[in-house]
Amino acid sequence: MPAIECRSLTKYYGDVRGIEDVSFTVEDGEVFGFLGPNGAGKTTAIRTLLGFLSPTSGGAALLGHDATDPGESRAARERIGYLPGDPGLDEDRTAEAFLDHQAALRGSGSREALVARFGLDESRRIGDLSRGNRQKVALVAAFMHDPDLLLLDEPTSGLDPLLQEEFAALVRERVVDGASVLLSSHVLGEVAALCDRVGVLREGRLAAVESVEDLRSRGGKQVRVRVAEDVSRGAFEVRGAMNLRVGDTVSFTWTGGYDALIDLLDGFTVHDLEIVDAPLEEAFMTFYDGDVPGPGRRDDARGARGTEASAPASGTGTDPEKTDADGGDR
Amino acid sequence: MSDRPAPWLAIARYEAAGRARGSVVLTGLLSGFLLLFLAFFPSMSSAGIDLDAYVESFPPAFQEAFGIISISTIEGFLAVEFYQFAWLLMVGLYLAYLSGGTIAGDVASGRMDLTLSAPVARRDVVFGRFLGLVPLVLLLNVVLPVVAYVGVLAVGETIAAERLVAVHALAVPYHLCCVALGVVVSTLVSRAGVAQRVALGGLFALFMFESLAASSEYDWAGAVSPTAHYDPSAVLVNAEYDAAGAAVLLAATAALVLLAVLRFRRADLAG
Repeated sequence: MPAIECRSLTKYYGDVRGIEDVSFTVEDGEVFGFLGPNGAGKTTAIRTLLGFLSPTSGGAALLGHDATDPGESRAARERIGYLPGDPGLDEDRTAEAFLDHQAALRGSGSREALVARFGLDESRRIGDLSRGNRQKVALVAAFMHDPDLLLLDEPTSGLDPLLQEEFAALVRERVVDGASVLLSSHVLGEVAALCDRVGVLREGRLAAVESVEDLRSRGGKQVRVRVAEDVSRGAFEVRGAMNLRVGDTVSFTWTGGYDALIDLLDGFTVHDLEIVDAPLEEAFMTFYDGDVPGPGRRDDARGARGTEASAPASGTGTDPEKTDADGGDR
Repeated sequence: MSDRPAPWLAIARYEAAGRARGSVVLTGLLSGFLLLFLAFFPSMSSAGIDLDAYVESFPPAFQEAFGIISISTIEGFLAVEFYQFAWLLMVGLYLAYLSGGTIAGDVASGRMDLTLSAPVARRDVVFGRFLGLVPLVLLLNVVLPVVAYVGVLAVGETIAAERLVAVHALAVPYHLCCVALGVVVSTLVSRAGVAQRVALGGLFALFMFESLAASSEYDWAGAVSPTAHYDPSAVLVNAEYDAAGAAVLLAATAALVLLAVLRFRRADLAG
């Protein structure tokens, strides 16, 4: 039984499209990522799955329960943890009172362990807490009943990098224990680090579902080479080489095989050669090439770069404008 | 799992606990207000003015609106100066205002998302939010008759305790109806601030309508207002206990809560 089965799920707010014809499956024990800029429909999809919104058409099942039937949905929610990026909490109550209440509604097997792990001071009034600490309160509420399915909607947006790491570790532990996860994010690094597969949402539609591995290979290799000879641009303008830059060193994104690359370099005396995975953004951008350079997307792309510290350094990847142009080349 | 309370009970407890301090403060303020008015009574009644003749000169609609039967006795004075104004109008409006913000406020702030991500039915939320205001209604109507009784004795007057108990016992269905009205509005209007003002304004409009209708040939139409079914003056001055009115208010309360459940069950949570 899949953890989530989404069948042509469509939600319109009046005439405004939230999501349209979204179909995907999250297998038991899988971590599935929803990737897309703000406004792409990630939150609408998750809130429709949880029954906060009734779908215009289509359907979904969570843990085998029909998500569109109130009674069935409630049964599913016994085993679901939900963490939004900007959770609504009671400002006037202490974290302890709020968590007591949440525990009364859903159970709290691992509350103490989570509170200790994330260093939450429960005695403080929620309104007096920092954004990160508020997020911890919601995090404890989402995980404390040891749910089988986690719906995490931009979960780390209020957390500092150290806590993001701790959060990622927690998610991985829960997956090892058998939980399934749907994680939405506009931060590519986060999705790449946690997810098995990624669904790319674009203007309310699921543009593609790919494994993170495939997404990486689609990005190709970032090649930097320094050769003894003077090179003309034309020598590297071959099939498979993109984003070509010719200077003291030659750099390009290579999407062909290694043999072809070696053949290409065979005509030169190679002094230095570096081949790394291309930043995931480049693969990601292929889903957005051409027609959607909205301002929201650029901000998101920038945010993605800022947090993906582990991505290989790339001369071209730091300039959003440049990346847009590159996307258009494909 | 079985050691968890019913969701509606958990929600009601949590909401009531959150209102505990505010409820005590409100009860204290209203007690002070009542005692302040009572302190005026001795000087008024000893001034030798025929107050009843004075109020009889008021227009009928005004007399109707404020339930003026007599003002020269302690019962009539309390009815006009405190119960008709503070208990019927002010507390009623305040309760409608408070409950108007409940569900709409939770939806707008995103709190409802966290509540409903737990295994909680929408109807549990409506019941819980309604019941969360019941302790305030009970606290007010248990403490104030005691304050009133002691206050009346303190100014050297006497009053039948039975009438004070009755005026508060009959206020409970009325106040619950005000809460239920607010809860319904809270499921109909998505913005909390607007829902609160609509609930308050709606109740006030009903009160005005009833007052005006009573002095017209369409007096039967005034029955749509909750205020038509609770008459503190009749209780205090004439010892007339309107059990039928209480029953109407309780039935209306149940109907309004049910309407809120039906409405909220289908609603999309904006967010």
